[in-house]
Amino acid sequence: MESHSFLLAKKSGENAAKFVINSYPKYFQKDIAEPHIPCFMPEYFEPQIEGISEAALQERIKLRKVKASVDMFDQLLQAGTTVSLETANRLLDLLCYCGNQEPSTNYNFQQREQAEELEEATEGNNEKPKKKAGHQLGVTWRAKNNAERIFALMPEKNAHSYCTMIRGMVKHRAPTQALNLYTELLNNRLRADVHTFNSLIEATALVVNEKFEEKWNNILDLLKQMVAQNVKPNLQTFNTILKCLRRFHAFGKLPALQTLREMKAIGIEPSLATYHYIIQLFYQHESPSKGSSLIIYDIMNELMGKKFSPKDPDDDMFFQSAMRVCSSLRDLELAYQVHDLLNTGENRKFIGPDHRRNFYYSKFFGLLCLMEQIDVTLKWYKDLIPSVFFPHSQTLIDLLQALDVANRLELIPQIWKDSKEYGHTFRHDLKEEILMLMARDRHPPELQVAFADCAADIKSTYESQDARQTAPSWLASSLNYIAVLFLRAGRTQEAWKMLGLFRKHNKIPRNELLNEFMGSAKASGSPAQAIEIVKLAGAFSLPICESLTQRLMADFTLSQEQKEALGDLTALTSDSSSDSDNDVGEGK
Amino acid sequence: CIPRGKVFWPRLPLCSGGPAVSAAAIVLLASLHGTVRTKNNIQRYFGTNSVIYSKKDGQSVPTREISKETKNLVNILKGMKVELSTVNVQTTKPPNRRQLKSLEASIGRLQKAPEDAPQKRSESRSPELVAAASAVADSLPFDKQMTKSELLKQLQQREEGSRARRVGERPKISFTNIISDMKVARSATARVSPRPVHQIQFDEGTDDFVGQEKAAHLRKSFRKNIFKGKRLNIFELKAVTEEAPETEAAPSLWDVEFSKQLAAVNEQPFQNGFEEMIQSTKEGKLWEFPTNNEAGFDDDGSEFHEHIFLDKYLEDFPKQGPIRHFMELMTCGLSKDPYLSVKQKVEHIEQFRNYFNEKRDILEESSIQFN
Repeated sequence: MESHSFLLAKKSGENAAKFVINSYPKYFQKDIAEPHIPCFMPEYFEPQIEGISEAALQERIKLRKVKASVDMFDQLLQAGTTVSLETANRLLDLLCYCGNQEPSTNYNFQQREQAEELEEATEGNNEKPKKKAGHQLGVTWRAKNNAERIFALMPEKNAHSYCTMIRGMVKHRAPTQALNLYTELLNNRLRADVHTFNSLIEATALVVNEKFEEKWNNILDLLKQMVAQNVKPNLQTFNTILKCLRRFHAFGKLPALQTLREMKAIGIEPSLATYHYIIQLFYQHESPSKGSSLIIYDIMNELMGKKFSPKDPDDDMFFQSAMRVCSSLRDLELAYQVHDLLNTGENRKFIGPDHRRNFYYSKFFGLLCLMEQIDVTLKWYKDLIPSVFFPHSQTLIDLLQALDVANRLELIPQIWKDSKEYGHTFRHDLKEEILMLMARDRHPPELQVAFADCAADIKSTYESQDARQTAPSWLASSLNYIAVLFLRAGRTQEAWKMLGLFRKHNKIPRNELLNEFMGSAKASGSPAQAIEIVKLAGAFSLPICESLTQRLMADFTLSQEQKEALGDLTALTSDSSSDSDNDVGEGK
Repeated sequence: CIPRGKVFWPRLPLCSGGPAVSAAAIVLLASLHGTVRTKNNIQRYFGTNSVIYSKKDGQSVPTREISKETKNLVNILKGMKVELSTVNVQTTKPPNRRQLKSLEASIGRLQKAPEDAPQKRSESRSPELVAAASAVADSLPFDKQMTKSELLKQLQQREEGSRARRVGERPKISFTNIISDMKVARSATARVSPRPVHQIQFDEGTDDFVGQEKAAHLRKSFRKNIFKGKRLNIFELKAVTEEAPETEAAPSLWDVEFSKQLAAVNEQPFQNGFEEMIQSTKEGKLWEFPTNNEAGFDDDGSEFHEHIFLDKYLEDFPKQGPIRHFMELMTCGLSKDPYLSVKQKVEHIEQFRNYFNEKRDILEESSIQFN
């Protein structure tokens, strides 16, 4: 846990230092390293070339200054100089990629999502709104924005201009406009490249209000046009098709398989992302229905022993979805296969970012707890936790249930100790589970002692939590369990204190608990304690009060005043209890 | 020559004592080539053993069953696992006929296959298969040897069949043909084979072995199914692999960003200190070891002789006299200079050349010979 936060702290410190150096470059000019280390020197983000010229425009484009480039372009046009086609295309590239917004800088330690205005952000100072480069989801393509304006202004346009516009439109969710532009491109007898076709496929899937069959036919049309225009498809083409088919749910299954076979037939090797999309398509719902396919087995057979290199940005989603399917199918063999694949070669790098890795391992470990023998599960527990991932409290609960099934409850105190280290000290459900498992049955004395220690520890966590929060954290069941555990281990003092807590937090003790207390009072031969119990039961108006009183009368010899006090008590309770036996009260 | 509506029936006295295994094989072969029995025999045969068979009519067997008997044995296999809900004894119903018709149609094609069979029989089979087959055979009331050999042969054929399919022979009996011709007696039977896999797996029985074998077989035969089958048929392999004579333009912004995204797929935080050091070395923060005195210094690729032998730059100067003397001394000094690059040294000489050219008149006054 500490090493993780240490690494994160180190990284953020580096980022902060970089930010400072780049903000005040004039103070960091001294360069004494020999050989020169470029990454220690400040980077220059401000354009150096002044004046209105094409070179200045190119520089601003290179530095990704959207507004500055657009202004420069306008100035050039006003001055009458023509901008070369290539530069204009580059400007279009920039505008279309960034969606007419300033791109984020690389300072991703400030990840506040600021409200994006659709106007261009003011540039120049370093207080620009910072967002991660990937969060362009909020950016939509407005009509008549700068890109379209410049596109219209360009005296000559080549295929690249159209293509980049189409790609920009699709990226920022304006599919119909993209398709219209495509027809324009065809009318001008130009040829689109493979990336544009990939975008167009996505566009056809994004169009609303069309049936799945229509969309699929449109996609097929596009592919045929690709052939007609002699454009070679690439891996992204097929991956985009599969990604779109995912939205078609059941309709997409057969086309997806056809697409996969087409890919293989042409000789394009599917990547992990391909299989990820197929898995998503075929196993969309969590619970496996009877008709759930065996495709995952085929896929795993195909992939065994292969090593992968990144070919598609979605490659790192495969393992997560594969393990999800294994978990829902409850197939441990398959899970082992998937895990082996992960450990082949360098494939472990495809596990993805933290949350994906955690998901994968949580599912894997959950499946192990469910299906594997306890010794093997414990071995995996030692290996995986905490070095590979931090367990969710649900994972620990799964492990506890596995221990329960395998009758290895003696390990519970150890698990509790570990849980505290993983930050689950204040998790109610976990503590509930632990207490319940410990308190359920009687155990040999040493174990009972260990359990009681554990219970005391948990009790202290409850108390410290109480001190911090205003809302009470005790639950009736926890109080019950802790009291029982204390009693069984012979820690009667503390057990009696627990009774006080019941009253304080207004929780009702269970019947078995009261009986156990009664038994303990008898064992210690103290009628006063027994009367305490009966009083407590009376105070809560529990129906068990009578049987307790009977037991009291039977087992103990009472002094006269005790009997009188008891009499009052039972009289009260016999009136208020629903199924009261009046004989008991009157039989005094 | 095959009469319509008749059944192929092997001339095997199943209930009699045990003929040799090879004899059974030969007889089976003989049956394929033309011995025919009428249906009445079948009726008699099955009449005595109604309890055992459950789904004789609906055949969900995969491929290549040549003889009815082997098919029945497969049913026995499955029937042993499945709850016997209906007992279907009659075999003269139309479903049979239709199914046999399809078989007859394909028998002709299959004539070749059995010829290979005897050779392959001698192939070693896995001992598990043999054990499984004998276990099944033991539990049946028929002649054990016969049943066992039948079973093994049938399994063998299926293996050949799946092998043949993998090799890519022309489809003999296609699965779909059989199913389409069969009348569906029960909905369960017409379904695709994965179902028995689940059934067999979920049964807690002693014959898990056989179940697993069948599951493995089925899985293997299902193995290539996601890659076999209809494709879109839009692209041609040839068109895709030929090198298009496209000029590679400079990578556009889209390409640059895409490659950045791709590189980010594989990023993981450092697993250990070595990875950290690798990254630092790549960034230039850490030296490369063993240390190299000239790390990062290229000297424009010039060699030592270009530094030392500078005479060739003195060609334009007079061959004798004080100027030459001076220049030679200068080249001597330059050749020992470790701090200047070759270009800088040549520049030095150039500067002096220009200087002397400018001051030509002064020199001529002092009557120094210039050329």
